[in-house]
Amino acid sequence: MGERFGQRLGVIALHVVVISGALLTVLPIAFMIYSSFKTTTEIFTLPPWLPPAEWSFKNYETLLTGWHFPYWYANSIIYAAVVTVFVLFFCSLAGFAFAKYFFRGKNFLFIILIGSTMIPFQLILIPLFILMSRIDWVNHPASMIIPWMAPAFGIFLMRQYIQAVPSELMESARIDGASEFRIYAQVIVPLVRPGLTTLAILTFLGSWNSYIWPLMVLRGNEVITLPVGIATMRSQATASQIPYGEMMAAATLVSLPVIALFLMLQRYFISGLTIGAVKG
Amino acid sequence: MAQAAMTRGREARESGGFQQHKLAPYAFISPFYVLFAFFFLAPSLIALVLSLFRWDGINDPRFVLARNYGRLLSDKVFAQAATNTAIYAIASLLIVLPLALVLAVLLNAKSLRFSNVWRAMYFTPVVTSTVAITLVFQILYNRDTGLLNAPLIYLGLEPIYWLGDRSWAKVAIIILIAWRSTGLLTIYFLAGLQSIPEELYEAASIDGASMLQKFFRITIPMLRPIILFVSIIVLLSSIQIFDEPQILTQGGPANSTMSVVQYLYERGYTRLRLGFASAVGTVLFATVFILSLLQLQWYGVFRKED
Repeated sequence: MGERFGQRLGVIALHVVVISGALLTVLPIAFMIYSSFKTTTEIFTLPPWLPPAEWSFKNYETLLTGWHFPYWYANSIIYAAVVTVFVLFFCSLAGFAFAKYFFRGKNFLFIILIGSTMIPFQLILIPLFILMSRIDWVNHPASMIIPWMAPAFGIFLMRQYIQAVPSELMESARIDGASEFRIYAQVIVPLVRPGLTTLAILTFLGSWNSYIWPLMVLRGNEVITLPVGIATMRSQATASQIPYGEMMAAATLVSLPVIALFLMLQRYFISGLTIGAVKG
Repeated sequence: MAQAAMTRGREARESGGFQQHKLAPYAFISPFYVLFAFFFLAPSLIALVLSLFRWDGINDPRFVLARNYGRLLSDKVFAQAATNTAIYAIASLLIVLPLALVLAVLLNAKSLRFSNVWRAMYFTPVVTSTVAITLVFQILYNRDTGLLNAPLIYLGLEPIYWLGDRSWAKVAIIILIAWRSTGLLTIYFLAGLQSIPEELYEAASIDGASMLQKFFRITIPMLRPIILFVSIIVLLSSIQIFDEPQILTQGGPANSTMSVVQYLYERGYTRLRLGFASAVGTVLFATVFILSLLQLQWYGVFRKED
């Protein structure tokens, strides 16, 4: 009886700890949405949990009409979507080659591939920027797309998925006279849709949330992305009247769609993150 | 007869497709290597050469041998940025990593109801834009009206100057990093926990082991490879920290939160000291290279256990 009571208490404690931590985690996001309905003055009024005097979408209206926000949004979507399409194609193709072919130098090439996943790109930030300015890609969409079209991580991910496809399917397609590319397009691709979905989510998110690179290579309100745009809202305003209300509306509009996407496709997202960790 | 003809036909097709079969994989992997050579290898080599020059991007580069490196190693701001980055890394290893490990064990508990809901809540920060959430934290950290100080103010205590005090500003960055990365590390540990055989815990229960004993005697030893893997991930991502201090404090007050990448950005991009920034990049590259070799070593560990 006593032991069972102790066990019950343990289960209750577990729930209390887990749930309060979870609430604490989403608190800043809730606070962001909450603040997006307040005026900037109200945001900086004690107590911070006081509701706005008037619930209104005024911040959202100003954001859409008074700033280049719609441009930033469109730019972010376009860069992220285009880069995702290329990544899906190039990574699945290369992942296919590494998973299903034997060729000279394969091991060596694979070591280069894996090695390159471990070097953060920030380390070549300045020389890469110099290169961009030499080839006139500063302020050009190409700088947001072309260098990022075939990430090693994505190739590794697709290789893991494609290895699970039975090789007999390829063999029988080959006997039927299919070209290697047709085997890829018609046998492999339809069978690794979950892998492609995973890679698409990770790539889109990475591009959507990236900050330092677009901050360097993009200039002007018509070409910058959302994170850069939101950060410039602060510098474009005078110090005394930084539009925090509108910035919270912008932060909400940047975050909520990807959070919704994540909640819908959580399974794919998590398998993509952990495939390197547990399977090696 | 018919069968022999078929075999011959197949052979003919196979030898016809032989070349294609051999060349196809090279064609398939070539986009990566072309992009790698052009946008990664070439800039790396440029950086190596440029680190020996003084160059502002406009006038002719001037050869200065190793003077950039000498200046870098004696630069107080660089020392500070390196120290700050090390503090972020150590805080992540000593606070965020154990927190994520415990959280993963709790989320993995069988008696936990609606586990998927709580998991989703914990994972949300992983996908949230750093820039967006950092601006939110800026409001939360406000000295006079922020949510974190509000209880202190109402209790009549001295509010904390989160973003204006050299030490508290670092704490503010670390809290933000913890908020952003705990969920991600938890995902790794949860995946690792799935690979521990249930029988181990059952056997321990029969032997009368307590929860804590099971955690230290089974969970931790079994997760050792994952803990090592996550440690390296933490170190590598700490070296990359830029968004948080850039938005929250601009590296201030008095460079007390400046990260190494921020230093690199500021010297190379803002001040256009391209040769000097390349030297910074090269030193970092060497550091990361050593860490990566360690990681490769551990990847080997993973493979054997698979």
